[in-house]
Amino acid sequence: MHSILAVDDSASMRQMVSFTLKNAGFNVVEAVDGQDALEKANSRDFNLVLTDQNMPRMDGISLTKKLRENPKFKATPILILTTESSDQMKQAGRAAGATGWLVKPFDPAKLVEVIGKVIR
Amino acid sequence: MSETTNDASANAGIDLSQFFQIFFEEAGENLESMEHKLLALDIGQPDDEELNAIFRCAHSVKGGAATFGFSDVAELTHQMETLLDKLRRHELSPTAAMVDVLLASGDALKAQLARHQGNGAGPIDTGNLLVTIRRQLDGEPTAPVAPVAPVAPVAPVAPMKAAAASAVSVVAPSASSAGSEAKPVAAPARPGIRLLELTVGPLPDPSTADSLAELFKEITDLGTIEPLDAGRDADGMRRFKVATLSSDNDLIDLFGFHVAREHIRLTALTDGYGFHEGAPGAPAATKPSAELGYGFFDDAPGAPGTTDADEPGGAGGAGGAGSASAATAAASLAGRPVAAAAAAAVAPRAEKTAAAAAESSTLRVGVDKVDQLINLVGELVITQAMLAQNGKGVDAALYQQLAAGLADLERNTRDLQEAVMSIRMIPMSLVFNRFPRMLRDLAAKLGKKVEMVQVGESTELDKGLVEKITDPLTHLVRNSCDHGIELPAERMAKGKPEHGTITLIATHQGGSIVIEVRDDGKGLNRGKLLQKARERGLDAPDTMTDSEVYSLIFAPGFSTAEVVTDVSGRGVGMDVVKKNITALGGTVEIDSAEGYGMTVRVRLPLTLAIMDGMSVGVGEECYILPLSSVVESFQVKPGIVKTIGGSGRVVEVRDEYMPVVDLERIFQVPRFDFEKSSNIMVVVEAEGGRVALLVDELLGQQQVVVKNLESNYRKVDDVSGATIMGDGRVALILDIGSLVRRSRH
Repeated sequence: MHSILAVDDSASMRQMVSFTLKNAGFNVVEAVDGQDALEKANSRDFNLVLTDQNMPRMDGISLTKKLRENPKFKATPILILTTESSDQMKQAGRAAGATGWLVKPFDPAKLVEVIGKVIR
Repeated sequence: MSETTNDASANAGIDLSQFFQIFFEEAGENLESMEHKLLALDIGQPDDEELNAIFRCAHSVKGGAATFGFSDVAELTHQMETLLDKLRRHELSPTAAMVDVLLASGDALKAQLARHQGNGAGPIDTGNLLVTIRRQLDGEPTAPVAPVAPVAPVAPVAPMKAAAASAVSVVAPSASSAGSEAKPVAAPARPGIRLLELTVGPLPDPSTADSLAELFKEITDLGTIEPLDAGRDADGMRRFKVATLSSDNDLIDLFGFHVAREHIRLTALTDGYGFHEGAPGAPAATKPSAELGYGFFDDAPGAPGTTDADEPGGAGGAGGAGSASAATAAASLAGRPVAAAAAAAVAPRAEKTAAAAAESSTLRVGVDKVDQLINLVGELVITQAMLAQNGKGVDAALYQQLAAGLADLERNTRDLQEAVMSIRMIPMSLVFNRFPRMLRDLAAKLGKKVEMVQVGESTELDKGLVEKITDPLTHLVRNSCDHGIELPAERMAKGKPEHGTITLIATHQGGSIVIEVRDDGKGLNRGKLLQKARERGLDAPDTMTDSEVYSLIFAPGFSTAEVVTDVSGRGVGMDVVKKNITALGGTVEIDSAEGYGMTVRVRLPLTLAIMDGMSVGVGEECYILPLSSVVESFQVKPGIVKTIGGSGRVVEVRDEYMPVVDLERIFQVPRFDFEKSSNIMVVVEAEGGRVALLVDELLGQQQVVVKNLESNYRKVDDVSGATIMGDGRVALILDIGSLVRRSRH
């Protein structure tokens, strides 16, 4: 079963994402911010990381950079959830090594669809 | 990939309403936190981290509201977020007016959320707030060209009743655009250009909508407009695709001249995701990002179509079923506008290091479960006490193990009890937090300048008590602001700082919590209080101590303010404050120095469920006196009890006469053993008065688990509750206040 690390500081979003992905047959581990995610990523493997951008302690872009520094996550798809889909934001994501972005708000099916594109 | 619209599969069979409750709680916390931070914000020199934190609160509420379909909440938070974003990037400087409108918006949001939760009244009109925020945004001359971009957050769920809440709400387009027309022809070419879907209707004459299209011909700066649905008006609704630089609100203002605002909907025309070409994990053929709302980066690790060859760590085993279903989902969903268009980019920078991880280690549990736990522990305490009682008769030398076990049980029970009680303990900050805001509004209304200082807000108190102490404390703070703190001019004249200070202090003292409300206002005037008391016909001799004189303000109907304001009212409050605090087993005292201010000190037990009691025996019965009210006890000597006025009896203790209350008579205690008689007096104090209780014997002191008599039996005069003693007998807990009152009549 594929494991996904879902990172969001908002409990309701985290719960929604987690529920949706579990429903879609994924194994989900939740993290409350970038720092928490990094700690969880160090202790186990994930097939995909789905992270919010705007979080306290460590944001999604910084998390992406840190994950890419770890050989274990060199090729793991990392998707950033963001409410801004501006070019600046995308470029920052690209520069950090993110695989793609998904604009909030999204509905559960969209999430499953996008993840289906990267986890085969 | 062909694009079709299929709302039926939109939510992948997931009912989003199951997440509403947690969203409401979270949004409530975020709004509280935002208000708190706004009040603490130093407008002259705002701290970047604070601004970021405030922004994040609004941002978080917006994200959730948009996701869960509360479009009115999303709309307002979006505007707030836009303003806050400008503030944190220093494109605008914070002003008091901005703080005001943000606070007012916070209130409106709370009302909106309450409404969605089924509480609260009619729709919340946020029109004024939206306009005010927008004015503040526009007021900045150096604002970048790109419009403020009121990104239309789209509700993906079937819009709730929310949609009706505001005149112009942003809702999810339903079965909006069919076929290829839904596909935006061009991604935004310049920053700031946004693609929107404009829905107009239902209109009696659909051709009215064409006048909107004409506007774009007349005003060339406005952008472009094209009809969708091939111009058809299936349901009296007309749909257009608009590419514009203007903000939603500007467009709606403009369109409002031709079509009623409530018939206009603007929705961002994007899907809300994208992949970067060649990025790790990105699919091989990715669509232009602006159409989808998600994207993959080229050559990035894990991007679809790039990974498998040399990076097995990425997306591993083939899952035909998975990709097939994903494709179906994709096919069914592509073309469905989901999210917002280009907004000003957020500089991705590391944000405040505030605590947030704590959340992951907390558990939300219903209060009823905790209460049940407390109840069970209470029963356990009683059982343990019974065992301890019976264990006393066992020879410890013979049953050493049993004695040791009983001792362990006692210790463990006490620890368990403390641990369980601590679950119900919540910090005083939950009460204190509401005061800065209240004080700010109140001071503004009264033309006063008041600051609030809080000390010991992390001091914990039982949840039930916190709820009950909130109103009395609110009244005390209002009273201090209204009657205590002087007007700025008066303060200056007295050589005091212009700003008055109200200090809230919470501390633990033994088994109690002491809450002080302190102000540096005008203080109490002894002479004035005495005079007033006499005018009111109260007994007020000159020999009263200062503290007794100050306590007069708790007398019913007593008010010293020359001007009765609508803030603190007509002095009805203070006696109620005292009554409420007394009902909680607490005490109030006042300290004051004229010209320097006043301190009201409230002392409360830490919990209502367990108390320290003194057990006394009367005839065959056992009664519990709250230890906090016991002053002293002594043996009755012949001659010290005097009868006055026929039936009343008094006793002289240290030159003070106090009424004697014979418990045997009051409770009509049966007596079979006439050898014994009531010859011990216990002096107890409550509500500023003392009485001497006549009892047979003092049995001991112990912690008792308080059981409510009213809910289990009925209200009994002079009794505040009951408990079960170690030997299994029920003992009544006496209501000392009631006994004191009885003796006065």
